[in-house]
Amino acid sequence: MTQFLQQLINGLSIGSVYALMAVGYSLVYSIMNFSNFAHGGVIMFGAYFGFFYLTLFRLPFPVALIGAALSTAILAIIIERTAYKPLRNRRAPFLYFIICAMGMSIFLENIIIALPFIGPTFRTYPEIFSKTPIKIGSLAVGRLDLLMFIISAICLGLLVYFIDFTKIGKAIQATSYNIKASALMGINTDFIIITVFALGGFFAGIAGVLFGMKYTVYPQIGVITNKSFIAAVFGGLGSLPGAVIGSVLLGIIETFTSGYISSQYRDLIAFVLLIAVLVIRPRGLMGKSNEDKA
Amino acid sequence: MLTINNLHVYYGGIHALKGVSLNVNKGEILTIIGSNGAGKSTLLNSISGFLKYKGEIIYKDQKLNFSPNKIVQMGICHVPEGRLVFANLTVEDNLLLGAYLRNDKKGIKEDLEKVYTLFPRLKERQKQLSGTLSGGEQQMLAMGRGLMSSPDIMLLDEPSLGLAPLLVQTVFDIITDIRKMGKTILLVEQNAFKALSIADRAYVLEQGKIIMEGSAKDIANNPSIKEAYLGVKK
Ligand SMILES: Nc1ncnc2c1ncn2[C@@H]1O[C@H](COP(=O)(O)OP(=O)(O)OP(=O)(O)O)[C@@H](O)[C@H]1O
Ligand SMILES: [Mg+2]
Repeated sequence: MTQFLQQLINGLSIGSVYALMAVGYSLVYSIMNFSNFAHGGVIMFGAYFGFFYLTLFRLPFPVALIGAALSTAILAIIIERTAYKPLRNRRAPFLYFIICAMGMSIFLENIIIALPFIGPTFRTYPEIFSKTPIKIGSLAVGRLDLLMFIISAICLGLLVYFIDFTKIGKAIQATSYNIKASALMGINTDFIIITVFALGGFFAGIAGVLFGMKYTVYPQIGVITNKSFIAAVFGGLGSLPGAVIGSVLLGIIETFTSGYISSQYRDLIAFVLLIAVLVIRPRGLMGKSNEDKA
Repeated sequence: MLTINNLHVYYGGIHALKGVSLNVNKGEILTIIGSNGAGKSTLLNSISGFLKYKGEIIYKDQKLNFSPNKIVQMGICHVPEGRLVFANLTVEDNLLLGAYLRNDKKGIKEDLEKVYTLFPRLKERQKQLSGTLSGGEQQMLAMGRGLMSSPDIMLLDEPSLGLAPLLVQTVFDIITDIRKMGKTILLVEQNAFKALSIADRAYVLEQGKIIMEGSAKDIANNPSIKEAYLGVKK
């Protein structure tokens, strides 16, 4: 029982970070109907921003965290303006967007490798939080795991509030439903697209820092962050609750696989899950319709 | 109030509007009738900023050359063909989105009440997701949502499309009511009979060209129009 609870807590903690990543895929998909694979690169940049803000600039952790998030928000906006906006202006078919996103993701990864002062080496975050876990009865909860969960939960709460209770949030929902009709309401849809990229980028930065602290930072970290994309598809691309539920489930499935079977099977199971979902229920748990996922 | 001079629109190789000129006077109901593919929606989409065109569109002495959201800001409201209500949002959220560009809380509240008076059905369903409304209710919502932007002119694209005859009458009655509120109306319709019965003036659009214009009465009495659009045999 203790082990079960222990795994559940770990699963929730990693799942909540996946959720922070997954909402970025879902937000962009809900408006623009394509999977923004550059998002993994943005998360990786977030991990590096946080690392350098902490080590090079010796900023206090909260400042470094917010700083990384703002930096990746700006990065996401730059990606949108330079890579996707020209495609939108030309009304390019959505396949172009996906190819462009993949290209952007490879570009982001390689720019990190190419930069002389960063390079392909693995970086380890400085130890900010003591490794001694907090004891709750017979359970040992890692301080970092707890922090990951709390920060992610706060971020997701803020996002839900923003989407459901603010005017811009409503405009995002309207635009995700029909971009032409929202322009007819006087909504500046270009601004909505920027907002969505900024939000996704902001949470990508937070997730990148948390992820970097938990594991290590290296240019191919995007391969792992792709699992949050799986979570988004699992939950139903374009649906925010879907992204969160899919992510938490994926986190839990992963930790249980590592805990009870073997960590070698962890990623295997994640990808089998993706394929199974695509075959059995292509729109995911909470996806809006049977659109093709590309 | 709105003047269009020699408007040409192309979709790739298709020449959809071939030099359309017309003007809308303040306070009138102007209708443009035409059959499928005549270019009616193309005309409205040009006015509201969705299409590139040759020629000019002048609104209140200003050349319109802006993005759709700026055009809404200038007091032009386009209720599109097919309604396009936000099915994922409630009736009230849809109406409030109509007022997206406004910041006068009091005015918005008053207009919301006005819309509910005009469409009591919407008031009954304010918290319902608009995707679950019937076609007629969605049309009312689309019109109500348009009114919420407090426009000076409304462009209505086939509001009677797909509605039962009784509802068609209701919708046209409401259009007359909206005009009484001081709005100018540009009504595009295939239902020529009904459109001509409430309009002051009319244009007939055929294959991208205006082939006739005049008072609604004259057009309705024109023998060739009677035959082509009103189903009356010579
Ligand atoms: N996006 C588009 N791409 C290519 N051709 C188009 C496009 N939209 C309209 N057309 C063509 O332009 C012409 C005018 O179309 P439009 O939609 O304006 O007609 P309409 O009068 O509104 O017809 P309806 O009564 O059926 O709504 C048609 O021949 C149509 O096929
Ligand atoms: Mg049409």
